[in-house]
Amino acid sequence: MNTAPENFVQSLQESGLGGDWEWKHGSWWQTPEAMEVRATAERMISLDARFVAITSTERPDKEIRLDYQWDLNGQLLTFITATAEQQMASITDLCPAADWVERETREYFGIEFTGRETTRPLMIRDGDPIGINLHKEVVK
Amino acid sequence: MSYRIPIGPYHPALEEPYKLELVCDGEIVSDAVMHLGFNFRGIEYLAERRNYLQGITLVERVCGICSNVHSLSYCQTVEQLTGAEPPERALYIRVALCELERLHSHLLWSGTAAKLIGFKTVFMACFTLREKVMDALSAISGNRVNYGMNCIGGVNRDIVDPEAILGILDELENGISRTILPIFLHDKTVESRCKGIGILTREQAKAMGAVGPLARASGVGQDIRVAAPYCVYDRIQFNVPVETSGDVRARLVVHALEMVESCRILRQALRALPAGPIHTPTPAGARYKVPAGTAISRVEAPRGEVLYQVTSNGTDIPERVRVRTPTFMNMATVRLAVVGQQLADSPLIQASCDPCYSCTDR
Repeated sequence: MNTAPENFVQSLQESGLGGDWEWKHGSWWQTPEAMEVRATAERMISLDARFVAITSTERPDKEIRLDYQWDLNGQLLTFITATAEQQMASITDLCPAADWVERETREYFGIEFTGRETTRPLMIRDGDPIGINLHKEVVK
Repeated sequence: MSYRIPIGPYHPALEEPYKLELVCDGEIVSDAVMHLGFNFRGIEYLAERRNYLQGITLVERVCGICSNVHSLSYCQTVEQLTGAEPPERALYIRVALCELERLHSHLLWSGTAAKLIGFKTVFMACFTLREKVMDALSAISGNRVNYGMNCIGGVNRDIVDPEAILGILDELENGISRTILPIFLHDKTVESRCKGIGILTREQAKAMGAVGPLARASGVGQDIRVAAPYCVYDRIQFNVPVETSGDVRARLVVHALEMVESCRILRQALRALPAGPIHTPTPAGARYKVPAGTAISRVEAPRGEVLYQVTSNGTDIPERVRVRTPTFMNMATVRLAVVGQQLADSPLIQASCDPCYSCTDR
């Protein structure tokens, strides 16, 4: 259910969250899909938003799409980015809530988050291979 | 000289496995290192290899306590993609199930907390009351744990006798207001055991993205039922209890008051139950194809916000199923809450975060 106040999109754009915004299927989605994760994190924190999750998806071209989700006063905002090099800038120093999510994303999708002091395993054990959700079978 | 105490993976306070290494200076905890994954089952991976109908059964097994919110969140995402809008009666039944689940989860937590406080009479009282909730859940769904209630476009079973559930609710409300509330809110023994320990400040809770009763006990007042209402929560009157001290006592108070509010919601939902069907007609057969797209659903589970993101590629098997559970965000706060505290208080502090490792590990 969309419970956004009137002029919500305008207020987002005035807050420095530019681009187009569309409410669809439970979230506000930003386009174009090329946000800079650290600048966005800084902006969201300055707006008192709550970090919710990172959702990674393996695209058919093997690029990994990363959806960063933030809650701003009850409105879920999704910022999309992608990487073909299995690398993304860490936001844990800006937002400690992202620590476990980044560690989990590394283990499931093999993404290395750069700028972290350490990346201890979270769900797997030391020495286990990473990227355990990758290389999916072809859906028939 | 500091020393390390490994606790777990079999935990002294809780039934589920995780490991905590406490670094202590004398009796004071100076740091904590957490080890998870003992319950890791790869449920996201498995859900991407099963059709949508099998997925409902699978995600309901993420957690043995709040199983209903997982199938509800999953079904809500698929309903957004397919446009299968549940009928009104199904939405009220979903609310009733959510609140019964919250009640049994909070009573379970309250009993565990009381046992750790050393108040075993309250443990007994909580579990006696919890049995009434389990009776209600069993009467509605036929099951005590995995209810199998949600389907895409509604619910599988009706509440055929709301008056019987209201009767159970009267007994439950009476027990909560006469036994649990006075003890959790006013008892001096409970206060002296819980006040000022395991503090999680508002700033810490916000920085760690804490959710649910844990965050609300630290002054972060968001509740998804109010902030982003689903089902028919926007038509129901209830309060969201918030405390500001962030200690174990605040968590006791928030949980106790939330149980009262759950009874209030449940009563309204059962009394307003409209006539009509309980699900929309869905295409026959298990090969249920879902239009391509991505949808997100958020539900306020007993421990806080659950998020499901489902991406469909137009086939009968989801391309991506993302599950973010409340304890995944809340567990990391344990480190902040135990540092500087007495070693002997650490089991109670850990338990007071109401952790669910099955949810966390998935």
